[in-house]
Amino acid sequence: MTKYILKRIAYMILTLFIVATITFFLMKMMPGSPYTNEAKMTKTQLRIMNEQYGFNKPLWEQYVIYLAGLVHGDFGISFQYSNMPVSQLIGSRIGASAQLGLQAMIFGVFFGVIIGAIAAIKRNTWVDTTATVLSIIGKSVPNFVLAVLLQYYIALKLGWFPIAGWGTFSQTILPTIALGVGPLAETARFVRTSMVDTLTSDYIELATAKGLSLTQVIRKHALRNSMIPLVTLLGPYTVSLMTGSMVIENIFNIPGIGEQFVKSILTNDYPTIMGTTIVFSLGLVIVLLITDIVYSLIDPRIRLQGSDA
Amino acid sequence: MKIKKLLAAGMVSLTAVALAACSNGSSSSNSKTINWMDSAEIPSMDISKATDVTSFNQMNNVMEGLYRLGKDSKAEPALAKKTTVSSDGKTYTFTLRPSKWSNGKALTAKDFVYSWQRTVNPKTNSQYSYLFSGIKNADDITAGKKPVSSLGIKAEGKYKLVVTLDKRIPYFKLLMAFPLFFPQNKAEVQKDGSKYGTASKYMAYNGPFTQVGWTGSNLSWKLKKNPNYWDKKAVKLDTINYSVQKTPSTGYNLYQSNKLDATILDANQTKQLKGKSGYTLRDTASTFYLQYNQKSNKYLKNANLRKAISLAINRKQLGKAVGGDNRPASALTAYDLTKVNGKDYTSSVKNAYAKYDPKAAKTYFKKAEQELGTKNIELSILSDDTDAGQKTTEFLQSQLDSNLKGLKISVQNVPFKTRLSRSTKGNFDIVVSGWSADFADPISFLDLFTANNSNNNGHWKNSQYDNLVAESKSEGNNSKRMAEMQKAENIILADQGLTPLYNKTEAWMVNTKVKGLIYNGAGANYNFKSAYVK
Repeated sequence: MTKYILKRIAYMILTLFIVATITFFLMKMMPGSPYTNEAKMTKTQLRIMNEQYGFNKPLWEQYVIYLAGLVHGDFGISFQYSNMPVSQLIGSRIGASAQLGLQAMIFGVFFGVIIGAIAAIKRNTWVDTTATVLSIIGKSVPNFVLAVLLQYYIALKLGWFPIAGWGTFSQTILPTIALGVGPLAETARFVRTSMVDTLTSDYIELATAKGLSLTQVIRKHALRNSMIPLVTLLGPYTVSLMTGSMVIENIFNIPGIGEQFVKSILTNDYPTIMGTTIVFSLGLVIVLLITDIVYSLIDPRIRLQGSDA
Repeated sequence: MKIKKLLAAGMVSLTAVALAACSNGSSSSNSKTINWMDSAEIPSMDISKATDVTSFNQMNNVMEGLYRLGKDSKAEPALAKKTTVSSDGKTYTFTLRPSKWSNGKALTAKDFVYSWQRTVNPKTNSQYSYLFSGIKNADDITAGKKPVSSLGIKAEGKYKLVVTLDKRIPYFKLLMAFPLFFPQNKAEVQKDGSKYGTASKYMAYNGPFTQVGWTGSNLSWKLKKNPNYWDKKAVKLDTINYSVQKTPSTGYNLYQSNKLDATILDANQTKQLKGKSGYTLRDTASTFYLQYNQKSNKYLKNANLRKAISLAINRKQLGKAVGGDNRPASALTAYDLTKVNGKDYTSSVKNAYAKYDPKAAKTYFKKAEQELGTKNIELSILSDDTDAGQKTTEFLQSQLDSNLKGLKISVQNVPFKTRLSRSTKGNFDIVVSGWSADFADPISFLDLFTANNSNNNGHWKNSQYDNLVAESKSEGNNSKRMAEMQKAENIILADQGLTPLYNKTEAWMVNTKVKGLIYNGAGANYNFKSAYVK
């Protein structure tokens, strides 16, 4: 197990290095400069600034300088927020995104599993159909439409929750629902399919035959086994939810990282582009590793390659 | 069983939260507090580094310079108690009134010297230092050729400030009202080091308000009345609650529930709310216009073709198609930028080709075809890939297609930065450009089209135009200067060296109880110094 994890970590570092390299060169191919006032600066001034920031150096040299900084944990200084280190920018914003993402994840998976399981047990009845229709709607209505509707009806008209803002728990409810309905619908569909498979399998019939009650069959045998494929889904979900949703964050005025992914690219903010990309990739590779480990723990049929066990 | 219990627990906690949320009282305006918004985060509070209107709006209210921008973009004396100008217009002597920084230290002439030297210092990497051009040695200093100490600004004693210029700058007082030229407290800058200007607490203020609670990346903060401000009697508000609203629908929801006193509207809201009480249209001192590539495109050198294009565009419809409530433009200089003898500057600028006249457009187009000896003119229009950019090119394409039969128009929508770099490289036929003025003087627009200006992307050239622009810069008499600039503008418009399209406006809902607020399109927009709630 340890050997396997070490091997995976080595691969992770290699992956990150490749991601950083590709991003760096792609980013440098974009036209324009990271200056926010570029349109008004004179040619001479642009030249002077490029010299100041070392953008006049050959690309490979800039790359080496960048990598050296990265190894020391230095992402550089943001161009959009002058004087602010990128690590501080990401650090101060990822918390809100992560909290929201995690809440949306828990909300979505919790209710998704319940709805999916009920639909599977009551399959081919009106309950199943309703659940299916609801999940299709949940999956196809974009989350920002839902966000705007929730904000207008629940917050403005009914006044149950604050319209926007971040700081109190009540402010997180509506964005959590808006962001969580997508995963909820998908989880429900997934769990239903996988549970129907499980419920028709031989060992369930055996369990029923030996006289276990329906609740026991579902709790002890069906639900657990139908959850295994869900783990695959959860990994990437967690990362994409936790790294923020630009639209939801903007609608509910949440100081998250979501918008930075887009804005840094639009403004050629090189250090922030690299910083956010690396943080996102790091999150993804770590979650993938955890997913694989969790898999081996919950499913005895899976043995990790290179594992001693 | 467990699931049922969990569900029940979940429902109970949800209800509890809902009830708790109900008890949150609304924070609607009392008589000395207003709730304002901006569409973007503050990128920086460092005077030498800020480049954007959000930062300038903050600085304009928490800092004070020699002058303050008042109504109709008039520069009013602020820290300058007395100003004398030498007869050649190249030396300004300011006598400062005694005042204090928010950290308790006295504000002296040295703070101005320090601030200016810091901005022009090439090591500071200021993206706005070009505005110092014209102040003695500024250009050489930013280019690293002369020491910072050689800048034309000297402190004589505690309260006397002498500024020397390389050449006369007719709009110098307007510049002095722009935050870039405000003082900075050396002790504060040195104490905070690289953190200076990255959060409320890493700043020293000297304006009507001080800023509290901005952490560098959060979305809400406050402006509090500054007890150390020299003119605090004139300040009527105690608190301005600022928040960042990136989604206009959220802003309007908050406005409706009295949690905001002002909110910017998007295109749809503008349509619905136009004419309602509180609806306010703000001119932004910016013009969108077409530039024609006269260097590499053989067709666009023909003036009749350019005139035909201009006449074939219905600007009123375009202003609406772009979204919002934009103003059709016939001049290069933006509407409501400045006034000449009580009338808007642009009212005396002539453009015979700004009206929508498809018939005349056809006549000019036929002439152009004859002169060029071809019936296969193909042109492409370059613009941004933003919503407004795409709507502009769509509209222009359909207008030119239907009004100028035989002209083939293709469109290219690219990201902003790509559009900029293609514009400067001359890699376009026709490009939709936009310009917004930093200070309320037409020269900020007219300078763009002098022969060697790097923003003259189409390379239109006219020596008479260049001469008039140059003359206006050395002219001491203001009305003569304005007349020269109007004349220059008439020349470029008569030749359609560029084709003005529209002036961008912002539509807002503003609580009608908020009075005394000063808004200017150029430079820092908002001045809350004398604002109050009725």
